[in-house]
Amino acid sequence: MLDVALVSLIEDLIEKAGADGVIEFWQRVGENLANRIGKEAYMGWTSFNVAVREGRTAYSIEGDVTPLTDLAITDVDGDVVGYLYAMKQCCYYPTAMRVRYTVGRLSAADAAVAREYNENFHNIAWCNFCVFHERFREEVAKNIAVAGNPLECLLLATRGFDGETRISAKGLSKININPEHVRALLRNYECVYALLMRGARLKEG
Amino acid sequence: MDSLEHGRVIDSNPFVDIATHLFLEDLASKVGVAGLNNYLISLANNLAANMPEEEYETWDEFLEALKNGHSILSSFEDVHAVTKHCLVTRRSPFERGWREYAKRVGAFSKVHKEVAEYYNAKVKSTAVNSLHIILQTFRDAASKRIKVGGKPLRYEQIATVWVDGERKVAGDDRLTGLLKKAGISRIRLGMLLRNNADVWLLAPE
Repeated sequence: MLDVALVSLIEDLIEKAGADGVIEFWQRVGENLANRIGKEAYMGWTSFNVAVREGRTAYSIEGDVTPLTDLAITDVDGDVVGYLYAMKQCCYYPTAMRVRYTVGRLSAADAAVAREYNENFHNIAWCNFCVFHERFREEVAKNIAVAGNPLECLLLATRGFDGETRISAKGLSKININPEHVRALLRNYECVYALLMRGARLKEG
Repeated sequence: MDSLEHGRVIDSNPFVDIATHLFLEDLASKVGVAGLNNYLISLANNLAANMPEEEYETWDEFLEALKNGHSILSSFEDVHAVTKHCLVTRRSPFERGWREYAKRVGAFSKVHKEVAEYYNAKVKSTAVNSLHIILQTFRDAASKRIKVGGKPLRYEQIATVWVDGERKVAGDDRLTGLLKKAGISRIRLGMLLRNNADVWLLAPE
């Protein structure tokens, strides 16, 4: 019930600190959680991707994550420097349904936080939890080293349970992936992100 | 979605619960233990106030709804009636989130226990950690939204057992009266505490 109570908490906080205050709060919580989980190191992408499949990485706290090993990110020399990862179900989907079947409907405060974030930070959120989640993933990436290189995380695309999709042009241009590839992924996944080696020399998009 | 057939909503993703724990910990660092206690109480009251009111003709009809997860009091927990007025919750609705927290993040922050101690001293002595403040306040507020035979309900917590076995039982001054109203003996209470998370009393006002 804590997740359903969270919705009331967001409503209350938005009254006290505004939507921008909630975003600041969530981002700080995302950083704190990532830092409490701590550092990880892997020999290479194969061992990292096996760990993702087996639910052993810091990202496993989110739920089931699929490494899309057919969608590698390569650098200017053609070396693999990252992959795309996807979740079939948004972490917040069960909560949205739980609110629907206990309280009645998701609060307007939830949409207000997402709207504020989309307008002023990154046009990718469909719920307030995306704000926390994106920052959490970014911070976790810094704490994971693959073949000695810390990672960077780019949130690429989301699909809400209402079917609305958001694709990050900024993120896709950075890794030179066609938006249509990601759009096709959204038929099967609700959240798509990239993990790549920080500072990798990528082709210009 | 399958579990909706049984009246209870689908399970949350424990990641959302963990994020909420961290959210509350961050809040406590700003408002202190007393402030967090007030926040949790207000949170639970708001949640109950947002849920629909209920009315039943008879106590048996109400118990049937409770058992099937059709009452707001059993939306989040698996409730069983031991006697007409003594109810038990088999598993804490917070267990999955807490286990995931312990597995992925580490030891539960001390503030969750500190706020429970504050609550036990100021309100009732039946909380092991912060989560019980939410649950017990919610039950209290939600029970007032239910009428059986035209009368609102009165809720009292008899005893709480956390996942690690730590117990909190109502004070001796209240316990005898509560057990009498619940229709159970002290020995029966001890038996119930072996394999249930909560023992509580529900009766018409």
